[in-house]
Amino acid sequence: MALANADSSPEHVPRPRRLRLDLTTPILLGLPLAWLAAFFLVPIAIVAAYSFDVYSLNPGPHGFTLTAWHDFLHSSVYLRLFWKSVKLSLTVSAIIVLLAYPLAYYLALSGTKRKYILLLLLIAPFLTSYLLRVLAWKVILGNQGAVNTFLFWTGLRSPDHPLSQLLYSRFAVMLVLGYIWLPFVALPIFVSLESLDRRLLEAASDLGASRLQAFRRVTLPLSLPGVVAAFLFVFIPTLGEFVTPSLVGGASGYLYGNQIVDLFSTGFPDWEIGSVLSIFLLGVVAILTVVFARFLQPGEVTVD
Amino acid sequence: MDVALSKNGARLLRAFFALVVVFLYAPILILLIFSFNNSEVPSFPLSGFTFHWYHEFLANSELRGALETSAIIAALSSAGAVVLGLLAAMALTRRRFRGKAAVSALLLSPLVIPYVVFGISLLLLFHTIGVPRSVLTVVIGHIVISVPYTLLVLVPRLNQIDISLEEAAFDLGASRLRTFRSITLPLILPAVVSAFLIAFTTSFDEYAVASFVVGTRATFPIYLYSALRFPSQLPQVIAVAVVVLVLSLAVVVAAEVGRRIAERRFASLEPSG
Repeated sequence: MALANADSSPEHVPRPRRLRLDLTTPILLGLPLAWLAAFFLVPIAIVAAYSFDVYSLNPGPHGFTLTAWHDFLHSSVYLRLFWKSVKLSLTVSAIIVLLAYPLAYYLALSGTKRKYILLLLLIAPFLTSYLLRVLAWKVILGNQGAVNTFLFWTGLRSPDHPLSQLLYSRFAVMLVLGYIWLPFVALPIFVSLESLDRRLLEAASDLGASRLQAFRRVTLPLSLPGVVAAFLFVFIPTLGEFVTPSLVGGASGYLYGNQIVDLFSTGFPDWEIGSVLSIFLLGVVAILTVVFARFLQPGEVTVD
Repeated sequence: MDVALSKNGARLLRAFFALVVVFLYAPILILLIFSFNNSEVPSFPLSGFTFHWYHEFLANSELRGALETSAIIAALSSAGAVVLGLLAAMALTRRRFRGKAAVSALLLSPLVIPYVVFGISLLLLFHTIGVPRSVLTVVIGHIVISVPYTLLVLVPRLNQIDISLEEAAFDLGASRLRTFRSITLPLILPAVVSAFLIAFTTSFDEYAVASFVVGTRATFPIYLYSALRFPSQLPQVIAVAVVVLVLSLAVVVAAEVGRRIAERRFASLEPSG
């Protein structure tokens, strides 16, 4: 690498003249910012342009118009689908935050010596393949899957009447999304509980508070930022989710994200309305991110 | 008296924790069992032990090709992301400039963009400028996704190391580049390695964005997704799944152990306080 060798020649050898390369701010920031501008900001701008018909898949005359946006805001189909996704994501996020809280509480405050090993045990599945974890549930939940055939085998259920709602249902989507995100959610809650000053709890106890009172008045409020962060860390990515619903959701688990994909990939693509749906989703996520930014700060990264 | 938990409360929480761990690992265990099951359909009762599915996937050249493609893409994109992340992290931690908050927000924003939207954005970009989809277009997308992860690892580490070492080198006449090479880089090397590994696994497993910009060479997740539609392929896909899941769990544990060892070493090197 020429850049890395720029300084390595011994001092007494006369150096050939070369451009002085040093790590000035523009050199440091130029490439990362250019990359994100070209492959992140510009692409989004292009989607926006498609949503206004400035760009179009169809040949022929086209120009700036709000038709697609108007259609979107007045269509019951797309908005209802969006609302369905919002409700599903909210439910999943709420349930797994409730489940993860006691887990994080146990790790952070029970005084167990093995807490980091246990934390690793909890987090490890999240760091393995996403698709393969979905695949596991497909194998488990199908009509001829592990759960049903186990029930047939043990005689708990007749093979003529499998539990057919297990796979290809809204339930399946929620179960799998919950399964996938649960380990991850415990992390921010754990961090906020871990940084809790235990002397506050001792003080509460000395002043006569019961454990429940101490939890309600001290622990819970102080861990709330972690809870909000955990909630958003699940809610934001699951809102546009399309992979899990397309694998285990069937017709009733069809979500907003699937609609977007279909508008770009089926036999009759409609990039204009598809772009509207994309920009709308992006806008909602951007607003959420900005409103809750202080909970989402990955603390040490935002300097100043 | 423990102020946070009663004895019974602790017992109850421990039981709940164990239950959740069982819930998290049971599906992986079930895949493991079925990967050795001598039947075309993964179902109970089990019908005998076999290595057949493992042999079959090892002989499946399409699958091996997909693994290879994913490895290439992951290597290229994580190398790219680490370079970009390192440059940006140096600027964010060692330089003063206007608009720093905005710059760091922009660099981190790929963390929150819905991948379906980002995938479509790239698709429309490449369509508009007339670039055919290929391995390279996936690499481009994966670099964007991975840069924030590298920052999340590198920036805290850069903030942590003693800046006076760099100042000393600079005062003794080393250029900034030289200072970086001989002082900063060796100190943050473990963080660079873990940033690379995180970016690598992110890319290797990424389906959503890749599905929009992939060319004719399927990546491993793309191959898996399409194989899921053919029941005849299911048993060997389960066998691959077991191999990949077990390997990645091993890497996670190894990375954590390595990090602990490195941290202990640094703790003994650096003056405390």
